[in-house]
Amino acid sequence: MREKLEAIRRAAENAAKEAIDEKQIEELRVKYLGKKGELTALLKQMGSLTPEERPKMGQLVNEAKGQVEKLVSERKVKLKEKAVELKLKAETVDITMPEKPVNCGGLHPLSIVTNDLIDIFQSMGFDVLDGPEVETDHYNFECLNVPEDHPARDMQDTFYLADKILLRTQTSAAQIRTMETRKPPIRIICPGRVFRADEVDATHSPVFHQLEGLVVDKGVTMCDLMGVLEQFAHEIYGEDVNVRFRPSFFPFTEPSVEVDVSCTECGGKGCRICKGEGWIEILGAGMVHPNVLRSCGIDPDVYTGFAFGIGIDRITTTRYKISDIRLLFENDKRFLEQF
Amino acid sequence: MKVSLNHLKKYVDINVTAEELAEKMPLAGFEIESMEKQGEGIKRVVAAKILKITPHEDSDHLQICQTDIGESEPVQIVTGAQNIKEGDYVPAALNDSFLPDGTHIVSGKLRGVESHGMLCSGEELGLTEGDYEGAGVYGILILKGEPVPGTDIKEVLGLNDTIIDFSITSNRPDAGCFLGIAKEISVVLGTEFKSPETSYKTVGGNIDAYINVSVANSDLCPRYMGRMVKNLRIAPSPLWMQRAIIASGMRPINNIVDITNFVMLETGQPMHAFNYNELKDKKIIVRNAQEGEKIVTLDGNEFALTPDMLVIADGKNPSCLAGIMGGKESEIEDDTTDLFLECAKFRRDNIRHTAHALGIHTESCARFQKGVDINNVEYAMNRALSLIYELDAGDIIDGTADVRGELPKNRIIKTTTDKVLELIGVDVPKDIMISILNKLGLETTLDGNEMTVSVPSIRDDVEGRADLAEEIMRIYGYSHIKGRPMRGEVTRGRKLPERVKADKIKSLLCAAGAREIATYSFINPAAADTLGLKEDDERRKMIKILNPLGDEYSAMRTQLVWSMLSVISTNLSRKIESARFFEISKRFKGELPLKAQPHEIPVLAIGIYGEDEDFFSLKGIIEAVMKLCGAHTEYRRSDEQYLHPGRQAAVYANNTLAGTFGEVHPAVAEKLGIETRVYVAEIKLEVLYGIKRRKPTYKPLPKFPAVERDFALIVDVDTPIGDIQKAICSGAGRLLEKIKLFDVYTGSQIPQGKKSVAFSVWLRSNEGTLSEEQTESVCTKIIDKLTKIGGELRK
Repeated sequence: MREKLEAIRRAAENAAKEAIDEKQIEELRVKYLGKKGELTALLKQMGSLTPEERPKMGQLVNEAKGQVEKLVSERKVKLKEKAVELKLKAETVDITMPEKPVNCGGLHPLSIVTNDLIDIFQSMGFDVLDGPEVETDHYNFECLNVPEDHPARDMQDTFYLADKILLRTQTSAAQIRTMETRKPPIRIICPGRVFRADEVDATHSPVFHQLEGLVVDKGVTMCDLMGVLEQFAHEIYGEDVNVRFRPSFFPFTEPSVEVDVSCTECGGKGCRICKGEGWIEILGAGMVHPNVLRSCGIDPDVYTGFAFGIGIDRITTTRYKISDIRLLFENDKRFLEQF
Repeated sequence: MKVSLNHLKKYVDINVTAEELAEKMPLAGFEIESMEKQGEGIKRVVAAKILKITPHEDSDHLQICQTDIGESEPVQIVTGAQNIKEGDYVPAALNDSFLPDGTHIVSGKLRGVESHGMLCSGEELGLTEGDYEGAGVYGILILKGEPVPGTDIKEVLGLNDTIIDFSITSNRPDAGCFLGIAKEISVVLGTEFKSPETSYKTVGGNIDAYINVSVANSDLCPRYMGRMVKNLRIAPSPLWMQRAIIASGMRPINNIVDITNFVMLETGQPMHAFNYNELKDKKIIVRNAQEGEKIVTLDGNEFALTPDMLVIADGKNPSCLAGIMGGKESEIEDDTTDLFLECAKFRRDNIRHTAHALGIHTESCARFQKGVDINNVEYAMNRALSLIYELDAGDIIDGTADVRGELPKNRIIKTTTDKVLELIGVDVPKDIMISILNKLGLETTLDGNEMTVSVPSIRDDVEGRADLAEEIMRIYGYSHIKGRPMRGEVTRGRKLPERVKADKIKSLLCAAGAREIATYSFINPAAADTLGLKEDDERRKMIKILNPLGDEYSAMRTQLVWSMLSVISTNLSRKIESARFFEISKRFKGELPLKAQPHEIPVLAIGIYGEDEDFFSLKGIIEAVMKLCGAHTEYRRSDEQYLHPGRQAAVYANNTLAGTFGEVHPAVAEKLGIETRVYVAEIKLEVLYGIKRRKPTYKPLPKFPAVERDFALIVDVDTPIGDIQKAICSGAGRLLEKIKLFDVYTGSQIPQGKKSVAFSVWLRSNEGTLSEEQTESVCTKIIDKLTKIGGELRK
């Protein structure tokens, strides 16, 4: 019987080693350890042994059973691991294959830039307002210190809809509406669409976008204007750009300045982009003209203020190096997808 | 304003290079539009003496010249010109030389004969007659005198001038002349300004004996000054004057005309010369034109005049369009003997309107439009007479006709240095402030902090402390301004609620895969026809632009759909297979004829197309937008002309019509060249802005299981799914958790005129697991409701 036990044990051992999948190992378990298994059968034959031998033999059989069980379960784990391994290997994907796309849309580049500008000024405490696109002569010109016979009216070609009703040529009109309804301290920006009768070409569009800024308070100086515009320039053009004022003329500001930033392409040394000047003109600004304050019921002897007008389209085309402003209004999907 | 730098040096010491000047002036408020250096581009062109000319054997027009170019050996140059002779001094472009137009000259052979350069004409050197006498001649330029052979031609021709084009802002018409810009340069450079000569001698007589001057409309002509000059000696003007005139873009004509033009360029004050002998009745009347009057101007054009136009008339007819252009009849010609010289101020808006109405633009009217100084009239007149005297162009008669009211006095500005500096935020030393203002001709005295500034009428733009601040800073230097962070009361920057909502909608649409577009606010009014809008459709009432860039852009849009469809059409034509677009912009609605600002209605337009898109993809986007805004939506059939009659809907937000959407009508699509199915929507944002979104409150997550039941029923094919859905909802009551359509079917096994519809319904109670009885009772109610709308449960 011992020989038989040993033979079974060895056979089971070998079978366990050779089993190649979970099914075989399960068969093996049934064959040796099951209710009708060979080892179980051996136990059942114990009756034919002497009482002395019975416990010894019983112990031996149980030992063998334990060994086989261990072998089986070990082999089972191994085979399972192997099976998982094989499965994972078989499931390997080619990660260079194209993704299943998530179709995200996106904002128009003009909106992206406008939002960036809004963020900058909002963080400095400016309220963000809107104004009508169709304006009256009163708000677009008269209150902005541009009387009827003023040559400054020749500076901008205006679209008229009726006598004294026009498409606003500048977001500055919003200045007046603000000052009429708010009391200082005033800090507002007004981004929006403006119109000029320019024939369409690579750098001109009859529809374009501006962001007007206005601050009115006691003791506001050109140094505050410079401070605000420096913040803006650093956010938009980079921390290391310099800002300079150049005298200019706008009827609604005095003093009026053109604002330049050092060329972002060459750092101010002079290149093709800045036409060798080292500076790029970015916006017009100035201290609110006393006549403008007065016409809005604000005492220019008590309050001072500054205003600036930023060309959103210009920033957009320079930021993204868009060579033709018409692309902004053509809305080719392949263009829009680049931003 | 283009001006010769050499000429400017007559009025001001310019101790810097042209480049340095061009860097400094913009910082004082005068941008440089362009700078043109005479002779720029000319390289290795020298004065040559023609030693010997021999004919070319193989050509009947070429000649072979041996030239002395200052080297030991003569240089052989072949030329086609015939106007040269031995002993002439001429410009020779040597081997490897350049001409102003970029032409590169190298040695070569002309019909077999070696030529080591080219003899040049004036034109080839970029010269005109005004630059150098003989430069306009056809043929080689023959040099004056005997220049040393080999001398650089630029030196020989005096091509050392630079023409600078200064940009003059519209508040500074006073600076738009030689004297004005020279004064500015003198202040910027800190050098001396020299006024030109204004004295002259007269020959006696009295102007009153020659002419009677009257002004009938002193409102349009605040000052009219006239002088008589007899015995004109018409001749070409001197070269220096011609050069100055040419540099500024005008044409020299003769001494008298040139003097009037030169004085205009120099002083900014236009002048006009009349042929005295053509003035009828010996009268000058400044008056409005009469109905039906006509004038033939100097350029030979005839204009019909209207009574709002100001003319200078003689006793009979208009002789000059005031401030704009003279009449042909009284033109100064070579044989004119007597001159009536005009110098006046006309009102700028009247000149502008007349010039605009007649379509004339002249140097004179440009200056009157910008505004001339009434006190400068006399100075300009004296300067012109002084030049007539200096050039001996005629005999000046005594007496001046000067019709005017009282001349304006200097404006006195009283302020304090603090008040001025308050705007700038920079501590400019007081003495520097005063000295800058005085140098600029703004006579300033200081008493403690009190400033008194006397502003002459020529600086009409200086009105108060802000202007003084600017004058000081543009000379003192804006580089002194150092930025500082904003100060004062802390304010919170807020967006308008409409913008906040629009931004949210935009974000949602982006997440839904849509690209934002930007289109013009004005469209072609024919868009109404393209869209097939009904005759009485409000959207046909477009506000027209009075001065549009063309029909294409002539009407303010009353809808955004047309722009959207145009963009889609463009994309389709470029083989872009699918897209989702949106735009938030305004449509314009006003009572016509327009008397007041129109309503600007913010609108959302959506347009989608492509293989995977259909009516319901668009409906899904719209539903998402509505939900975002907290709107309870309802869809009803609509009647939009540009949409497919069976595939369109009106969307209602909280019972208010918000917009329409659907598939574009094939007829409309065809007109726009669209060959695929396109879906568009237009939603009035005001409706959505007006909705208050309820703040969500947390509801506990369900503790008890849901029961799912399917309902399959047969209904009339026309029964809206929405009605069935409503019936189920009302039957299920508050136990309804979710409802989902999973099948709509017509065809075999379904009777004609019917359809099969199947819904899954989930019921759940928060109080406990639904019992079989509870569920059945709800289902019965649902079936009741379904039966009421004609539904029959499929067994």
